Order: sequence, then C-alpha cells, then structure tokens
Amino acid sequence: MREVLCELIRKPKNGEYLEIRLERIVTTHVRIHNGLVEKARVVEEQGGSVRILHPKTSWWFLSFQGWDDLEEKVEFGLRSAALLPESTTGVVLGEAFEDEVVFSPDEDFREKPLGEKVRLLLEYARLVQEASPYVVSSIVEYRDEWRSVYFANSEGTVLFWERPDISLSFVATARSGDTIEVYRDGVAGKAGFELVRRRESLAYKVGKQAEALLWARSFPGGVYDVVLDPVLAGVFIHEAFGHLSEADFLSRNERLQRIMVLGKSIASPVLSVFDDGSLRNLRGASPYDDEGVRTRRTYLIKEGCLSGRLHSRETAFLLGESPTGNARTISYRFPPIVRMTNTGIEPGETPPEELFADIERGLYAIEYVGGNTALELFTFSPAYGYVIEHGRLGEMVKDIVLSGNLFQTLGKIDAVACDFRWTEVGWCGKGAQVGLPTPTGSPHVRLREVLVGGQGYA
Amino acid sequence: MLEVLRIAKEQGLEADLFVQKVWSTHIEYEAGMFKGCTTEERMGCGLRVIRSDRRLGFYAFTPPFTPQEVVERALEVSAWGEPVEFPLPSYPSTTEWKDFVDVRLENITVQEMVELGSYLLEHLRTTHPDVLVNVSITVGEEERALYNHHEEDIRFRRTFFRISAEAFRVQEDDILTVYAERSWGNRDIDVEDLLREIQVKLDLAARVVSVPSGQYPVLFTPQGCMVFLHPLLYGLNGRNIVFGKSPLRDKFGKVLFSSLFSLLEAPREPWALGSCPFDDEGILTPGERVLVEKGRLEDGFWDLWSASKAHRKTTASGFRRSPWELPEPSFSVLKVKNGLRDRETLVEEIEEGLVVDSLLGLGQSNVASGAFSCGVQLGFYVKGGEIQGRVKNVMISGNAYDALKNIKEISRDFQWVQGSMLIPYVLVEPIQVDAAK
Repeated sequence: MREVLCELIRKPKNGEYLEIRLERIVTTHVRIHNGLVEKARVVEEQGGSVRILHPKTSWWFLSFQGWDDLEEKVEFGLRSAALLPESTTGVVLGEAFEDEVVFSPDEDFREKPLGEKVRLLLEYARLVQEASPYVVSSIVEYRDEWRSVYFANSEGTVLFWERPDISLSFVATARSGDTIEVYRDGVAGKAGFELVRRRESLAYKVGKQAEALLWARSFPGGVYDVVLDPVLAGVFIHEAFGHLSEADFLSRNERLQRIMVLGKSIASPVLSVFDDGSLRNLRGASPYDDEGVRTRRTYLIKEGCLSGRLHSRETAFLLGESPTGNARTISYRFPPIVRMTNTGIEPGETPPEELFADIERGLYAIEYVGGNTALELFTFSPAYGYVIEHGRLGEMVKDIVLSGNLFQTLGKIDAVACDFRWTEVGWCGKGAQVGLPTPTGSPHVRLREVLVGGQGYA
Repeated sequence: MLEVLRIAKEQGLEADLFVQKVWSTHIEYEAGMFKGCTTEERMGCGLRVIRSDRRLGFYAFTPPFTPQEVVERALEVSAWGEPVEFPLPSYPSTTEWKDFVDVRLENITVQEMVELGSYLLEHLRTTHPDVLVNVSITVGEEERALYNHHEEDIRFRRTFFRISAEAFRVQEDDILTVYAERSWGNRDIDVEDLLREIQVKLDLAARVVSVPSGQYPVLFTPQGCMVFLHPLLYGLNGRNIVFGKSPLRDKFGKVLFSSLFSLLEAPREPWALGSCPFDDEGILTPGERVLVEKGRLEDGFWDLWSASKAHRKTTASGFRRSPWELPEPSFSVLKVKNGLRDRETLVEEIEEGLVVDSLLGLGQSNVASGAFSCGVQLGFYVKGGEIQGRVKNVMISGNAYDALKNIKEISRDFQWVQGSMLIPYVLVEPIQVDAAK
C-alpha cells in the first residue's frame, strides 16, 4: 500500500495540496441490559478519503467505501477541485514524515474470544444489579475498536498508524415510586483488554450511587460559589474555554480575533490551561494529527493570559501562525477539523481542602453528565454534589446544571488546587463529527458566583 | 446480497440483511467565504441471524466481503446472543409505494448549490452587514433495502435536501449566534422563509435586556419545544418501557397532559424526511397513528424486540441509526396538533414572560424523569405583549411531563423541524427562570 500512496501523492501538478487516507476499523460492541446480552455486534469497516485544496479555488473532499480505484478518485478530484468557486485560503506546509506507529497492548483484545468478553461483562452486570434493591435497570456496555490508518499527503508524508480504543461503562437506573435516577461511570483508554479487568468495585459503586441519588434533594437554582472536582473541572475547561480556542471559530472573524487577541488577560493569574496531543497513551494522543502534523503541547492560557490557540494547517495559514497538530477526524468519512486532544488545567499550590474553607453557602459539584457550548455561553452538569455550609460539606444534592459566560466565568476562578488527574472517558461532538475521544485533566477548582439552574426553589 | 441469505437459509438460520446506500454532496460557506465541497459514497450492510435455539447474532460490514464469511461471523456472535421471542417477518408483497425521489435534486449541480448559497449570503449581507454567516447545503439520495431468508427483498429510495444558515454577530464581549435550517425530501424548500427567520431573529436579538429570576409563562418556538418532546420520546420508547426506565410504562390509556396536546406519527407524509413505506425491519408503516390524544396517552414506539417482550404488536418503529446498528424503537415523522390562534396573538397576550427558541444542554439532565435545566441560547423577554429584546445568561428549568400538563395554548402556525417533526408554538406556564447576577 505504501508504494501505491507514494505514487498517488505525486499526481498534483498545479500546486494542489493532496491528502489520502485509507482506514480499516474493526469494532466489537456488547451491551448487557438487566443481565441479558441485549446486543452483541461485530463491525468491520474499510474505507477511505481523498482531500484536495486547489491553490486558486477551495477544498474538495470525497469519502468512499473499499480501497479500489484510488487513482481514478484522485484524478477526478484534481479535475473537480479546479472547477470550484474561488476562495482565499491555503495551508501551512512543513516537514514531511515517513513513519510507522504500531501498538502492542499487554492483552490484545482482538485475540480474545467474544465469549471471554461476554462472561466478564455478565459478572459486572450482576454486581451493578445486586448493589441495591432499588436498581431497576442496569447496563454494562463494552466497546473495543482497532483502527489501522494509512495516510499520505503531497508534502511527501507517508504514515501508517494503529490506534486501539477500549471502553467499559456501567449505567444503573434506580427507581422508587415515580422517582427515577440514573448514574453512570466507566473507564476508557488507548489500551488492551487489561484496562477492563478488575473493575468489580466500580460496578458495585455505580449501583450504590444510583440508589443514593434517589434520596438526594434537588438543589435549588440560584447563584453560588462552587468547588468543582477534577472530573467536572476538566469538562468545564473543555466547554467553557477549550472550544473557543479552536482557531476555526475565529480564523475568518476579525471582531472575534480582536476579542481573543494573544496576550490579553482573560482569567485570574491562578489559571493556566494547556492542550497536549503528544502525551503518550492518553486517548486523545498520537504522534501526528490527521493532517500529518506532529502533535505538541500548546498553552491556551498562561497565568491568566491568552497565550495560544489550536490550529489545523488551514487556520494556521489564515491567522499567520503555526499548525499545532490539532486537526482531527472521527473517521475517513469526514475531513479533519480543529479539535482538542488532551486538555487540562495545570495544578496550583493550594491543598484541595482549603478551597471549601470560606464558602458560607455553596456547592461541591462532582463528576459529570455532560456539557455543551455555544461559543461564549456554556452549560455543564455534575452527576451530583454536596451542599457546602460554613465551609463544611452537608447533604447530597442532585439535578444541577451550571451555566456560564466565557468572559465572566474564567475571571471567577479564584483558586486552583495542587491535586491533578486525567479523566479519559470523555468524548466530544462538533458539527457532524460526534464521539471523538477528548480526555480532560484538572485539579479541584473554585469558582465564585456561578449561575446554577436547579429543580428545587430556594 | 441474495447469496448471503441463501447461505444462511441452507444453514437453517432465520436472517435479514439491511443494506443502506447513500450518495451526497455538501457545500459550505464559512464567514461568507466559499469553503469547499464534500462528496460521500457510502454503503453499509448489517446481517441479523437467529439460530434454531432463537439466539440472535449481528455482524455489520462494508464491501468488499465474501458471503460465506459474513454468515460465519454473524453465527459466531449469535453463540452469545440472547434468545429472542420474535420471528424475522415476511415482507409485504405489495410494491405499490412510491419512492420519494425528486429528479430536480438528482440532477442538481454543484454550481446550482453554490448559486443558492451565494443568494442567501448576498441577502443577509445587504440586510445585516454586521453579521458573519456560515451556510451549509446538502443534497443527496438514499436507498434502504432489506433481504430475508424467505428470499424476499424490498427497497425504498428517497432524495434529501438540507439548507442551514448560522449568523454570528460579535460585539465587545457579546457573541450572538442565530441558527435556522430547512430540510425536506424534494427541492421545494422555501428559501425566502429561511431568510426571513434569520433576519427576524437577528433584529429581535439586537438589544440585550435583563429578566429578573422567577416563574413566567414561556412560549416555546417549534425548535424550542424539543425541551419537553425529547424526554417524552424517551418515555414512549418501547425498549425503555420494557427495561422499566420509562415513567410512562403503566400510564397508557390515562390522561396525563393538557387536553390541548395531541401527538401523531405520520409515516407516509409525502416528502417529509423520515417518511417510509416500511421500517428498517421490513414492517409496513400505517398511514397515521395516534400517540397522544387530547392529553391521553395512547401508544408508544415498538420494534420487533420490545413488542415481543411487552406482548404487544410492533408499530413499525424499528429504525437503525446506521447500518452498523441493530434496530431500535424510534419515530418516522411526528406531528404535534396545532391550535387556533397565531403566534403573534399568543405573544401579545403575555403580560411578562419569555419566548424561547433554542437551548443549550438538552439531554444533559435526567431525561428519564423528565427533569430539565438548560441554558437559554436564544430567547426573548416579553413585557406588555411585546418582545423587548434578547436575554443572556439565563437558565430555564422544570420537568417535561409537568410542562406538558401546563400547556396553556398552542399556535395555529407551525414549522417542520429537521424535516421530520411538524411542531407549533407552545405556551407553557409556569416555567422557572434563573438569571445570573
């Protein structure tokens, strides 16, 4: 295949930028629902894409199934791209790489018989169900995916990489009368089958926690001081700031560029935020991005000041900056776009317990259900929380959604603790590309005066 | 394809093979500038087999494939599948349905799509020079085919057309985003109507006003109604009912909601996206069926699996999100019954309240219980029957099932959302509104 690709990337004769991607994905997915194998499926997908930027016109992209007739596809693309409307864009080219990135996990999940996977999951399902008599429904969901990708571009880069991804999640629904509560947790990683072994205590915890939510009180809406745990703080920074640092939002928007000018003070000096696609073996990591650019660490905020943004080759061209290795695609079916990789808040120096000390009445918000963003506005939901009263943790609460405005909320972070941890289960959707692994990492963080939407009334 | 089924039959298996083919072309403008053209040729196949001991296996694949091998893979999976209580059905013999294929869409050129995009941009540039606009236009065709071990096959084709525009206005620390879309099965999308919607929203949003926290009447636009329709659809899903996760499981035949609220499924609605002669399990769809009648819960969505578990009949509701997925209960085309008076009158009668058009964080709350708590992405403050301006940094919360009870009025005018849900404007009172300081 290497030879074929080397041949094809020499086709452009008029200064076109050409990328070819060939992909094979094998997925196993098992879903155990109330102790029954509700779904067991294996999917084998083979496809590819050709992407061309004509120097005078614009982007042309074709995705297809199978790996046949590649030469015809490239030639058709070169002819078609020349006929598109004119546009002013370009790409930053750089170093060409030839590389093979293979992965050898401790326990290769491709070699495990389906029966072995199912037996382990049924055992977990039993634990979720037995954790509480109130659990009316339990789901154990397992997914493994082995992706092999050939990538080549007209710059002369020819890459082959393997990317395994494995995840296990537990969902328990507890019910008492008309009150229904759902709690979920899980693990995910760029790893082998070893990642999903020995998760008995997590399965049990999920069942217990769903029951606990039944007895928790709804948290009243209002404006509160909030301490975020590392899991939720990671989601917060992804939603509240990460998306706006994706340069495609502002590469053609001059007013937004003036607002997001590098060097501007945007948060309190305790806050530093980074994105790093080069961290080994995190789910968002790989040596190269999906445009063949080396990944690296980019500081988005350094001590409260805007210090960088995330680029593809095109947004780097439009803004006169350097690519950062953040062009990612969920599969050959889509062109790469600017995405986060592994995003985190850098730990500070305060011990976490000190963050609670001076809060009269507030909220300790823990783990997450989800998050969403529309540029400056964002919402994110903890799985549950505890009331903070006079600096101490009080009763457990639920039904909480936090909302904020980028320009106001970052300035309200006034303390960052010294503990730090990565959460790998997170994924992100942007446009039609949903399900991209985007780990987040953070220590405990304190926010002042956050708008909390709640069900109960104060 | 038939070879796959022949091999399955020889091995004494029940089997069905779902094959979806999609061809589509998509163009995009970013901040008023042509960005590019994307073409997709996609084909996916999903094979279900049921062994004589009723265990079900599923294997999905793309070409190239060998028939013998795919049957073997599905059979391997079935060793671990759960026994199912339904047989794979015989397909309807009638072939009298019409494919929804518009030749005007089949023949559309990239050039014509580009001209349409430029037209939208030109107009918005003239009326609103201070906004940046992204436009996206997709045209395509889809074929869904099913083959079974009775050596029957059925197929259905449709064209689709989607136009969306997103306008951004950036002022010092204020980023306004206004979005509108139209999707339909033929070329007859009213582009002027789409333009008007964007322009009206931009004008109403020009001024930012504040709203004190409290309980208010809220008029939800068709798009805004998803806040309570989404949990309701979750509750009507047969699988959720079977697994005890729906609060509606024992409520059929009971009046639960306002008598103003009626919900229908219309699987044969001409040119609506989602309309189909049969579902993805090969069950013939009815012309129209009632889900909620004047507040009384009548029926849900049942695929073969959930129907057999609940000892009900399938409602032709087995749909696949992609060829890689097994069928799950879902809807084809939905209609919320409209009322008598137009939306302007409904706004005029609001003494103090909100009009809510789009929300952030749908599905982030407890969908099962119906609880919602969402950021208002685009919403307007109404005082004395007049829209005063756009609200910012505001959340609304409540429970979808309570909101459906508390419907005070439904408008006469309605709109297709995503080409598959016909929804009017719905006035609900009260809704809790929380505003940032």
